[in-house]
Amino acid sequence: MPYSDIFKDHLANPRNAGELPDANAIAEETNPVCGDRLRLSLRIKDERIEAGRFLAYGCAPTLACGSALAEMLEGSTVEEARALTRQEVIDAIGGLSSRKQHAAALAIEALRKALDEVADR
Amino acid sequence: MDHSATTPIDSRVVDAMMPYLTQRFGNASSIHQFGQEARAAVDKARRQIASLISARANEIVFTSGGTEANNLAIRGVCEAAQAHGRHIITSAIEHPSVRGVLEYLEKNGWTITRLPVYDGGVVRIEDVRAAIRDDTVLISVMMANNEIGTIQPVKEIGALVRATRESGQKHLSFHTDAVQASGRIPIDVEHVRCDLLSLSAHKMYAPKGTGALFIRRGVRLFPQQIGGHQERERRAGTESVPNIVAFGKAAELAREEMDQRQEQTERLRDRFEEKVQSRIDDIVFNGDRRRRLSNVSNISFRFIEGEGLLIHLDMQGVAVSTGSACSSGTLEPSPVIKALGRDEELARGAIRFSFGKDNTDEDVDVAVEAVARAVESLRSISPLARESLST
Repeated sequence: MPYSDIFKDHLANPRNAGELPDANAIAEETNPVCGDRLRLSLRIKDERIEAGRFLAYGCAPTLACGSALAEMLEGSTVEEARALTRQEVIDAIGGLSSRKQHAAALAIEALRKALDEVADR
Repeated sequence: MDHSATTPIDSRVVDAMMPYLTQRFGNASSIHQFGQEARAAVDKARRQIASLISARANEIVFTSGGTEANNLAIRGVCEAAQAHGRHIITSAIEHPSVRGVLEYLEKNGWTITRLPVYDGGVVRIEDVRAAIRDDTVLISVMMANNEIGTIQPVKEIGALVRATRESGQKHLSFHTDAVQASGRIPIDVEHVRCDLLSLSAHKMYAPKGTGALFIRRGVRLFPQQIGGHQERERRAGTESVPNIVAFGKAAELAREEMDQRQEQTERLRDRFEEKVQSRIDDIVFNGDRRRRLSNVSNISFRFIEGEGLLIHLDMQGVAVSTGSACSSGTLEPSPVIKALGRDEELARGAIRFSFGKDNTDEDVDVAVEAVARAVESLRSISPLARESLST
């Protein structure tokens, strides 16, 4: 399937790209098969994600999923973030072919890892 | 900027083929006048194509394209020669249509030697010599690579094959895939001394769906399409007359305008590379720059992946390729770039820019700006780029 307009827009104009200097939750996930990487940094206060940034390397879906996820997270509660699914990330970028859905899985794994880091403290 | 994938159809080629899409619709195998008109047109095209590569007209067999020409050459010769041996020599950077056929034969008991191409992307003649065994029946090495444009030592291989044959190994043949080279550099089959040579129409400003295989007189080959007498029993099936007429005209124009096209694309390519190099850091050129087609530039951009760059450029109206055009959409980094010994990151960040006769200086300048913007944007979100700054 061709990439959607919203997908391409995430790629051309990534939302919330970069790293937060005052993040209190940082996590990075790597896809061991293809080497794609996604790094999330979140600033969480009173169970709410005040700010979220992403960095990504890899195929286009990985970059688009990173951008979409970082945008979705800002302003959400930790509970809402924990409930986010792979499909919701896929829907946010206008769909992905089954061969490319691992990119959304990588995004959700990075998110869970970041949230676990906060919970462990 | 993706003329190695395909080219626009030249208006003079359209004019030449148009009557065969309308009034002159005869089947070239029919005896009546409509058929004979079509036959004459096909024969003329055969002479035009033969002339492009200095072959005889009856050594040209029309196919559905470069892939079929490669299949017919390799499978056809191997089936005919298998009683004498089942060993084939090839390079590590062949087009998928050669690579795939050889993998198929390998699964069926053939032994394949794949020669390295080192960091320049060029096969060494001493490696070819060392790889020849008593049971080698075919050497298939492309004339110019489809991703990096490097020109292979086909003339030296041709001379080596000829000498090997004269010393008693009569069943050794030499095939070269000239799909990317044809129409872009002069080809003379007497000079190259190849036994088989593959061509494709749509790489030289003619429509898709037609190719040709040069089969030197005397070479034994089993047809792969059976069930008709066309093409002197070497390729059954009604000839695509309009496409063949177009291919012939395109070959004639390529021969006439070869020098001019080469100079034009080389000038554009060099302008592009110079500007990219001055605007963007951390890039690596792929393939020996002194020994490649004039229209191809292959560059790896560190810290980013080719697909994102391709989509960025597409959104800015600039069409390019990552890896082989046929393999876009797969996760595998380009086997050609990996064969140069490049690391995974460079193989994933490789982009092919390929220029055509109708590109302009302005096209180049627009492309350079687009590439600079896209690379900057992608690097701004790349963890690899950040890490390189902090080290």
